[in-house]
Amino acid sequence: MKRGCIQRTGALVLGVLGVIFLLPAAAFAHLVTTGMGPVYDGIGHLLLTPEDLVPVIALSLYCGMRGARAGRYAMFMLPLAWLLGGLVGLNLDLDVTIPVPALSFLLLGGLIAADANLPDQLIGPMTVMIGLLHGVFNGLVLKSGPGGPALLGIMGALFVLVALMSAFVVSLERPWTRIVVRVMGSWVAASGMLMIGWYFRGQLS
Amino acid sequence: MYRLIFLFIFLFWAGLFQPALGHESQPGSVELVEIGEDRYRVTWKAPIYYGKPHPARLELPESWQTLGQPTERRRANDIVFERVVTIGQRGLDGSILKFPGLETTITDVYVRVKRADGSQATSVVRPTKPWTELRGERPWYETSREYLFLGFHHILLGIDHLLFVLGLLLIVKNRVMLIKTITSFTVAHSVTLGIATLGYAQAPLPPLNAAIALSILFLGPEIVRVKRGQTSLTIRYPWLIAFGFGLLHGFGFASGLSTTGMPQAELPWALLCFNVGVELGQLLFVFTALGLVWAFRTLQVHWPRWVLWLPGYTVGSLGAYWTIQRTVMLIRGF
Amino acid sequence: MAEKWTGANLGFNISIATALLLLPSLAWAHVEQGQAAGFFTGMEHPWSGLDHILAMIAVGLWGAQLGSPALWVLPIAFPMMMTVGAMMGLMGIPVPGVEVGIALSAVLLGLMVLCEARPKLPISVMLVGFFAIFHGHAHGTELPPGQSGLLYSMGFVIGTGLLHGVGILIGLLHRFSFGRIVLRGAGAFILGMGCFFFWQAVT
Repeated sequence: MKRGCIQRTGALVLGVLGVIFLLPAAAFAHLVTTGMGPVYDGIGHLLLTPEDLVPVIALSLYCGMRGARAGRYAMFMLPLAWLLGGLVGLNLDLDVTIPVPALSFLLLGGLIAADANLPDQLIGPMTVMIGLLHGVFNGLVLKSGPGGPALLGIMGALFVLVALMSAFVVSLERPWTRIVVRVMGSWVAASGMLMIGWYFRGQLS
Repeated sequence: MYRLIFLFIFLFWAGLFQPALGHESQPGSVELVEIGEDRYRVTWKAPIYYGKPHPARLELPESWQTLGQPTERRRANDIVFERVVTIGQRGLDGSILKFPGLETTITDVYVRVKRADGSQATSVVRPTKPWTELRGERPWYETSREYLFLGFHHILLGIDHLLFVLGLLLIVKNRVMLIKTITSFTVAHSVTLGIATLGYAQAPLPPLNAAIALSILFLGPEIVRVKRGQTSLTIRYPWLIAFGFGLLHGFGFASGLSTTGMPQAELPWALLCFNVGVELGQLLFVFTALGLVWAFRTLQVHWPRWVLWLPGYTVGSLGAYWTIQRTVMLIRGF
Repeated sequence: MAEKWTGANLGFNISIATALLLLPSLAWAHVEQGQAAGFFTGMEHPWSGLDHILAMIAVGLWGAQLGSPALWVLPIAFPMMMTVGAMMGLMGIPVPGVEVGIALSAVLLGLMVLCEARPKLPISVMLVGFFAIFHGHAHGTELPPGQSGLLYSMGFVIGTGLLHGVGILIGLLHRFSFGRIVLRGAGAFILGMGCFFFWQAVT
């Protein structure tokens, strides 16, 4: 990480937080109870909430496609950004309606499908941004449930998930296996597009 | 010097998270014994939850009438509530017992019904579904699923057991040794889990917990020896140690499976399902750990030196902390 | 002959796909019933209309005939453009002659498979993408009330992808000389059915 990159990341963090403070939006309110305490509730929440799970997997796949370096970065930065966002969300009182998951689906799915060769200076901030945004929404949801300790569970699950998924893609050697990943990316992007459609339909009616 | 600092950080950390980490999930229980025409004695044993009375209550169906005065006895590990009820004309089948407050905890409750004709029925209430419908017979797959999840949850909440497995993983050097070690740990704890559950032998909980903590502490120095390239009996034959201490851990697992009063015919099956659940949880843990190691290698992560020492010191210092803590509890007779 | 062959293979592949469809039910067992239902409703949807099924299988077949990179570019382009169509439907933007467009897509794609036409990649992608809009507009907008829009969307897209997969699997026959004839026969069948749908849509 060069210094310029860190500065850009910092600016982005502030920008994103600013946007969140200014815009209203709706949380996806369903909590999972595992009956095993808040940490496992957090893990369960991540694994059973496709709005969060699919973007995380997509990000891991994309970073895996970009190589070990990007995968390493995502493995460490995504959980940290998520935690930071989650802590912010826990202390916010908002009713927000930005279709953030839909946008993440579209962005990440599109990048995978196109096998877009983004420079590291962009992958880093993007990872942080996605972690922050989803983290904030998680925090808003968790506030009414298990709260802070669940964030620790989510962080752990994120770390494991990103490590495994991006290492998996890095280890793919045959060209057609990468194509399978790209096809899956196109599905993610397509789902995101549909979700944006649903969102606008909800706004119209 | 650094190592000393980390040791302290870990002891502090261990102390901070101790209530969550050192948890042995003590189940609660409700027993309904038929003592006359439509008359049942209801015994609700609520375990002490982190040093306080348990937050959950037992709520009986409204149509049930309490006879006489309900009693309440406080014991070392639980509070026993007892009352006699008449259940009215509609009979027991289909009645619903509720446990308000259970959903905020991690406690499982065993519910048993003993009828005058000698027939018995059991079920397990979990925080995710804090109520149960009383029924005479339940299909076998429902019982199996219940005990399978129970075992799975028990191992995932028993951080001390997982830490011991982690220690073993850090000692073994190759795949064959890994398979041997995990298998012998599994065999050993299955044996004692079976013996304890079937009632052939019993281990009192406080000394047992201290001994389990000691087994974790024991692995700490061995891991350091592996890192330094030294060798020892444990490092050459980790499966031997896994077997020996596995016998101890099996008694620990048995504490999560309370079977008093369970129908004899159901017992072996419940035991098997519980054990399978434990093994599944253990395998999940082992595969996650191995997967992470593989992922770190594939992603070419270069850890700083102190991180490489971290798992070993975690095992060792948490083991030490628990050993001291549980020994103190043992001596105090708490 | 061609018809019979396609039918048998389709049946086999559908059974495989059904098995695949059932697998996720294990994973979703924990999700609330209504939500999981959304996923499966979405997944079934592309399989509900014959016109839709045939056009999507034709995309897979054509891709298999053309070989890489069209083999995978076409099945990527179709779902993406399809959801653009669905989004237009959801936002209330009208697309004229949807039924005619869907029928025409079966006609043209069947013709391409029959002739083993080999236009340049951008042209084939544009052709497929253009017709995908009609399919999306007609089919992507029917979310049953009370179900999760996200899971429905994912199910819908994956269901479509599986149909392409069926087409590609059948298209593996392209390696054998008799298989090429079978594929062309399948193209002729789709063309014929497309004409039938077209006649239905116009009258």
